[in-house]
Amino acid sequence: MRWTVVVANLPYLLEGLQGTVLLGLLVMALGTVLGFAVGLARLGRGVVYAAATAFVELFRDTPLIMQIFFIFFGLPAVGIRLNAFVAASVAMTFFAAANTAEIVRGAIQSLPRGQWEAARSLGLSSAQTLRWVILPQALRRTLPPLMGLFTTLLKDTSLAAIVNVFELTTAGRRVVERTLASFEIWLVVAALYFLLCYPLSVATQRLERRLVAEVP
Amino acid sequence: MPGPAQFWVDALPALLRGALLTLQVSALAITLAAAVGVGVAAARTAPLAPLRWLGAAYVEVFRNTPLLVQIFFVFFGLPRVGLRLSPFQSGLLALSLYTAAYNAEVFRAGLEAVPRGLREAAAALGLSGWQRFRHVVLPVAVRISLPALGNNFVALVKNSSLVSAIGMVELTFVARDLEAWTFRSFEVYGMATLLYLALVLLLVWALRNVESRALAYLRVRER
Repeated sequence: MRWTVVVANLPYLLEGLQGTVLLGLLVMALGTVLGFAVGLARLGRGVVYAAATAFVELFRDTPLIMQIFFIFFGLPAVGIRLNAFVAASVAMTFFAAANTAEIVRGAIQSLPRGQWEAARSLGLSSAQTLRWVILPQALRRTLPPLMGLFTTLLKDTSLAAIVNVFELTTAGRRVVERTLASFEIWLVVAALYFLLCYPLSVATQRLERRLVAEVP
Repeated sequence: MPGPAQFWVDALPALLRGALLTLQVSALAITLAAAVGVGVAAARTAPLAPLRWLGAAYVEVFRNTPLLVQIFFVFFGLPRVGLRLSPFQSGLLALSLYTAAYNAEVFRAGLEAVPRGLREAAAALGLSGWQRFRHVVLPVAVRISLPALGNNFVALVKNSSLVSAIGMVELTFVARDLEAWTFRSFEVYGMATLLYLALVLLLVWALRNVESRALAYLRVRER
């Protein structure tokens, strides 16, 4: 074992970690916004519902790595050329949005039908019911699964390494190629991801327990 | 460059062979991950505290690090301490251990959801500890776990695509290889994506059948 290699390359790995956090936050923000839009679209009818459903199924039922390849290598064939960082961000945003949409839909449908009926009978329109009655309650229920998804997304940013975006896994691979200290470096890379994800997991579990306790 | 028809005649069999290997590694990993998952769940609910800690540590470590890094650690890292595995073995091991951590949580929730009254009733009937677990608690817990377990299996099939990064010639690897030779990236990745979609939908359909069979006893009562 050559642990001095780890110490010498730690600053470089931390630079990679920065890239991971940046990509993660970007995808979480964009994915959440797009996901709420798609999730609400799935409550609609006709073309809107069909398009939203197709989007969700396509991005949830295929591997993220295929989506990244398709957008990075495939789209230039039809004239859309994106650099690796943008391609990975777009693919991961769609992936995040499809999963967020399911969380939003699930939260809204988990509310009793009586909530809709009561609001409508009070004279509120559908949009008003959604805005003032349904969403405030549904939002709380989306929080724990949304945070769980964020942990998944943080881990999945590692897939961007396959198209050579600079983040923690890419940094790890470059150090291994230079030093051959594969055991030590991959262990430390895993530990760095753990330090990032574990607090988020613990916070998710706490919030889950608190929300469950609050339900009458 | 060959024409479109000739291209598909060449490419499709290769992609299908890749899909077959994806299916094989997934099926093996599903079996292993279920077995390891039951073991870890048992450890997490064991009466002995150190066992519970070990189980919890396993789950947290494997769930809070990326699968890709685990695959790299097994394939590139372990040979440095004398354990040399092939790409297939490395991929299978990492996929199984990773999914087992998720399965363990599902099984644990299933075990905890079994009503206390069932265990007490079984004890009152004079069943031994093992008999209570094997014939009363486990059948109920497995049925409760089935839907969530199915989600983990679907995730596993998709995750098996990461094994291409260490050179296992499954569907994703074949697609990358074809793309490098033919430059028909749009068609190749489109086709590979559809094949994954087909695999996943096939699995979802199979799981739904298993579920409806396992839960058939509930419908009898409703009639």
